[in-house]
Amino acid sequence: MIKLWMFMAGAAVSSAISADYPSTYEPPPHAAFVLTHAIVDVGEGQGEFEGWVSVVDGKIAGVGAMDEARPSDTLEINASGRWLTPGVIDVHSHLGDYPSPGYRAHSDGNEATSPVTAEVWAEHSVWPQDPQFPLALAGGVTTLQVLPGSANLFGGRSVVLKNIWSRTVQGMKFPGAPYGLKMACGENPKRVYGSRGQTPSTRMGNFAGYRKAWIDAQEYQKKWTRFEKALAEYELWRISDQGEKDYKEPPSPPKRNLQMETLVGVLKGEILVHNHCYRADEMAQIIDLSREFGYQVTAFHHAVEAYKIGDLLAKNNICSAMWADWWQFKLESFDGIKQNVAMVNAAGACAIVHSDSARGIQRLNQEAAKAMAAGQRMGLSVDASVALTWITRNAAQALGVADQTGTIAVGKMADLVLWSHPPMSVYARAETVFIDGVRRYDRAAGLGPVTDFELGQREEVF
Amino acid sequence: MKRILLVMGLMGAMSLSAGELLIQNVRLVETNFQSGEVIDLRIVNGIITQIGVDLVAGADAAIYDGESRAVTPGFIDSGTTIGLAEVRGLGVSHDGEQADDDMTAGFQVYLALNEDSSLIPIASNDGITRGLIVPEAGDSNYAGQSALVRFKRGSAFLQEKTMAQHLYLREGDRRRAGGSRSSALGAALEALAESARYDRQPRAFNTNKNRPFNLDESDLIALSAVRSGKTPLVVHVDRAADIIKVVTAFRSYPDLRLILASAAEAWKVAPLLKAENIPVLINVMENLPQNFDRLGARLDQATLLANAGVSFAFLSGSPYSETRSLSQAAGIAVAQGLTWQQAIAAVTSTPAAIWGLTGLGRIEPGAIADVVIWDGDPLEVTSAPVAVLIDGDWVDLETRQDVLAKRYVELLDLK
Repeated sequence: MIKLWMFMAGAAVSSAISADYPSTYEPPPHAAFVLTHAIVDVGEGQGEFEGWVSVVDGKIAGVGAMDEARPSDTLEINASGRWLTPGVIDVHSHLGDYPSPGYRAHSDGNEATSPVTAEVWAEHSVWPQDPQFPLALAGGVTTLQVLPGSANLFGGRSVVLKNIWSRTVQGMKFPGAPYGLKMACGENPKRVYGSRGQTPSTRMGNFAGYRKAWIDAQEYQKKWTRFEKALAEYELWRISDQGEKDYKEPPSPPKRNLQMETLVGVLKGEILVHNHCYRADEMAQIIDLSREFGYQVTAFHHAVEAYKIGDLLAKNNICSAMWADWWQFKLESFDGIKQNVAMVNAAGACAIVHSDSARGIQRLNQEAAKAMAAGQRMGLSVDASVALTWITRNAAQALGVADQTGTIAVGKMADLVLWSHPPMSVYARAETVFIDGVRRYDRAAGLGPVTDFELGQREEVF
Repeated sequence: MKRILLVMGLMGAMSLSAGELLIQNVRLVETNFQSGEVIDLRIVNGIITQIGVDLVAGADAAIYDGESRAVTPGFIDSGTTIGLAEVRGLGVSHDGEQADDDMTAGFQVYLALNEDSSLIPIASNDGITRGLIVPEAGDSNYAGQSALVRFKRGSAFLQEKTMAQHLYLREGDRRRAGGSRSSALGAALEALAESARYDRQPRAFNTNKNRPFNLDESDLIALSAVRSGKTPLVVHVDRAADIIKVVTAFRSYPDLRLILASAAEAWKVAPLLKAENIPVLINVMENLPQNFDRLGARLDQATLLANAGVSFAFLSGSPYSETRSLSQAAGIAVAQGLTWQQAIAAVTSTPAAIWGLTGLGRIEPGAIADVVIWDGDPLEVTSAPVAVLIDGDWVDLETRQDVLAKRYVELLDLK
């Protein structure tokens, strides 16, 4: 009885979460190969070694040092003089939603018409021909999360994409990646709605708005729970004629509410919360909010003051996605410091370097390097290998795909970058990028995607 | 167009440091950060007076040991907004443009500069010692006049009140002049013509009721200086077709000194720019085809211009976000094919030449002592200055950011 009820509950609500608008991405076949003599950093923060990585059917089949046995019957690619890392992952992007060219007709990232728009999905705005995708690929980015903007308290659902050229966004969707919910603290929601004379116009108004929406979500969840219970009782009656009442017809489900479906997805732990939040004191209050309603914040984004509460973030198992050195462009970023990422790392919390920029996404390795160097100058213990985890492993963790990508480990997707220089150098350029074992970018070979938009009017540059 | 570089008297000689400073054992970097001779620099009263090996310190000289680290001239940012807005997003603290006027050539940013801005040490902390503070496109195509500053807080901040006039003719800018790029360029030329009429009959400004002037007197005076070449004209324009039109149109003013900025497609017309000796100011990281004017934007523009023999300098554009680091921009340009020497030049000697800053951008006897000593390769993202001199004075490199970091490293006992 209980089991059946659980099953029905799952079927009724999560079908809307994972089954609709499914990914159609299937990596094309490729010949097995082994990259040899590369300086390998697997993305676990444990340093680098001269070694090999073998790839079969889009997956990493083996990793070893050069003095360890490697497959002898597959194609060898000598990567001597190259640095090999996991593909770079950006947890905060608006590519496709704010594409280039960036005209009003293309501006599809913020449904800034109501403070709560949890019903919108970023993927429905993604233009797959955005020429910014190939530019990010040339920077080694293999996976990215596209988020709605931050005008609203609840901006909508994010989507995790593989950075491959496709005619459709479905052809880019990372198979099985959980959805995210974009929430926003602070200045943006109160500015956008306050200027229209509506709530929220203050930070306290922001919080009232969050709480009201979560209360509504709890009610919605109860309504569905009641329905699912009634349905289970009906099914039991139908099969076995047991129960207290007779039925003329099955109970009818409540009307679907897309906004509430997304919020309930969070309450059920199926959708990950990505919360735009600059100030430490606001992050601490959001943590209380999440306790009030029983959900987990996965990551604070743009967390320029995360360094002030690294202990709290570590204790609550919340990642911070940060820039290396953006600051002072708005009042809530006034206390932004270059040491932020390294200090969060030193506090034992999950640190991520994100871009939020079609320029910055082209060089996340350099941004991580700047943050690392600022930490080292502060006397914090952090090295290039740890800094690499900020744009690989930790980013995969925040997207809920760490079991599939983010490090070089047997069985994971072969999302790999060969660099010309040590990845924390400004001179490092991605030479070759593999996604699921397929060579999607190769500078020397002049291989890389050209979007329809660029075709015939913009020079291909490798 | 006049091709002589502006030689400008350097203001504020009173701020030059007194006495002798001997900087020992610094590597005068050449083709990369590891090559170059380890030398000593003698600095007297803010001027580099001698360069050599094992220089003997004067009796009262202060001595600094450079430990064989790389030394470069202070970097010059050819376009930023430091001092105009403490916090960019706060409308009230932003002074970079004049709104509600269709022609603001007379606008001067120097009157708005905050010489105690908390942003100033952020620049010197990145090895930037001088920079142009540029008016942003307001409601006018002529946005006004940029100023030159030293990135040193206090009274020495402002160096030159008027460095250049800025004309914005990018895609989004034409709406300011009636919506067409034809009317935008046309209005810019008409304004110059009116300034010529003003020069012929300045007193008619107040008396000629039959044929009144469209512009304010301050605009006319500012544009006269552009026509005569006293003030260079920086045209912010992207599309190759527009660059050609701009270059052609301003030929009727032979003394006018034209400089291009933004200039996403300058590489497409490099031979023209080379032939006319027109320098280009580049924001290296702006490689997005954000509009149809910028379809040709690319990350390796500096390399293409260098190969064509066009003079260029780098600018950061903004102290707040992704393009804020000038050394990173120069490093990226090297990764994109520029030589290390060319990249260093684009933030030192070339902008000094473009802006006529005698004594800056070089380390040589007689040069002004804007000197940066680095803890690694100056163009590497992991490097930073360990010491910065402006006019021979040490700059305090501790920023408000550092103080904040210290507080929380101690509070959380971070290691």
